Amino acid sequence: MLAVENLVAGYPSGGSVLKGVTFDVAKGEVVALLGRNGMGKTTLMRALAGQLAKQSGSFRLDGRDLGGSPSYAIANAGIGYVPQGREIFKDFTVEENLLMGVLGKPNLPKRLPGDIYDFFPILGERRKQKAGTMSGGQQQQLAIMRCLVGQPKLVLLDEPSEGIQPSIVDEIGRTLQTIARSTGLTILVVEQNLDFVETLAGRALFMENGVIADRADHIGELRDKPELVHRYLSI
Amino acid sequence: MEATIALLLDTANFTLALLLVTLGLVVIFGLMNVINMAHGEFFLIGAYVVVAVSNATGSFWLGLLLAPAVLAVVGLLVEWLIIRHIYHRFIDTILATWGLSLVIKQGVVVLFGPGAQIPAAVDVFGVQYPAYRLFIMALSAALALATYYLFFRTRLGLQIRGVIANRAMAASLGINTRRMDRATFAVGSALAGFAGAVMAPIMSVDPQMGVGFLIPSFLSVLVGGVNSLVGALIGSGVIGGATTIFSAGISQADAQILVFLLAMIIIRFLPNGITGGRK
Repeated sequence: MLAVENLVAGYPSGGSVLKGVTFDVAKGEVVALLGRNGMGKTTLMRALAGQLAKQSGSFRLDGRDLGGSPSYAIANAGIGYVPQGREIFKDFTVEENLLMGVLGKPNLPKRLPGDIYDFFPILGERRKQKAGTMSGGQQQQLAIMRCLVGQPKLVLLDEPSEGIQPSIVDEIGRTLQTIARSTGLTILVVEQNLDFVETLAGRALFMENGVIADRADHIGELRDKPELVHRYLSI
Repeated sequence: MEATIALLLDTANFTLALLLVTLGLVVIFGLMNVINMAHGEFFLIGAYVVVAVSNATGSFWLGLLLAPAVLAVVGLLVEWLIIRHIYHRFIDTILATWGLSLVIKQGVVVLFGPGAQIPAAVDVFGVQYPAYRLFIMALSAALALATYYLFFRTRLGLQIRGVIANRAMAASLGINTRRMDRATFAVGSALAGFAGAVMAPIMSVDPQMGVGFLIPSFLSVLVGGVNSLVGALIGSGVIGGATTIFSAGISQADAQILVFLLAMIIIRFLPNGITGGRK
């Protein structure tokens, strides 16, 4: 579904952070992207979301080249993005935040589906509340649903557990797993929390210095081969 | 008594026109971070559309109707030809739109001459002057309300406010930010054009009138609070009200000085404007 080939990207002033990233994600897979801070994980997510221009290489979704497209076109082609830090609209209500997930989509009705609050019922209880007044965990649930309501084919999920209390992290992990299994949603997730990764992902890629340096083709290898975790994640 | 009513009418009239110009300035700045120095000239074009149309057809009302439409097109063209290429270069947008304002002003001088114009139809309303003004004020108020409705109650408005709040994220949700930019620039320009058309019969229509309106409009933004549509309302009220009330008692120039002083005092104590709160 997603085919990334020799992707080079970075910041206009600071040269390239990604130095030729190549990997594939098949439909229905949940793939974890692991690595220490500063290795290029978030840069890769932002490049795939179109928020950073690529310098060379390509990435395709279902064969369609999206490298160089503006981010709204990438979103409408089916790549959903839940960024690090959540980036919800703080002054909007929960409901308005969710509406933002469908209003730009040319093929979706401009209203929220009736079952939108089934996965995270707390959002339904707070739908008239300003999103900025909610806890970090609730904001993360909102950011995830705001993405999913746009019916993406692939979701880029950047550090969903960051700064969130453990009980909510578990809930988010289990709910995402339920959604992924029942809908065949494809997810690429950057995450530091290995428990969360093991709950959700089927396999893992390790990033180092702007390239995919290694992989674990089965998520169990994170436990079976401690040297992988040690080499790419320990500080 | 009559003098008081006339003064109140003057104040309300000027304030409403100022509000329309200020709203345009605020939405364009809020969305695109562009300070449109040519915004006063959009007001100017609006007034000259009324002059040209009413001279040609004898109908003031046709001019009033056409002015916002003409300015919406002008806004789209300016956005497409100039702004979209430089909107991420803040200083350059100020320079470019300032240059544009000079071009428009001189263009008007070439077409209409440097002197003041009077729209031909003003004398043939067939209604009393105050009645016209009341109607115009109602129309301006309705347009300002419609603008607030558009931004706070419609889905287009929600998207535009989303782009203002977080452009990158709104785009990553599939919202075509370019389209929002164009729509906002057109709406903002049309508001200025309508304000110019409304003011044409009651102020001196000359090539300098745009600057005369842009300065109080900037003051309104600063006093009311940048990035706030409610601030635009409050700021226009303060500046518009102060300008006309001061002008009633003393000379124009002295009134200007007092208005500037007032603005400086407000900004001294509320650096982010009245809606921005204390820093």
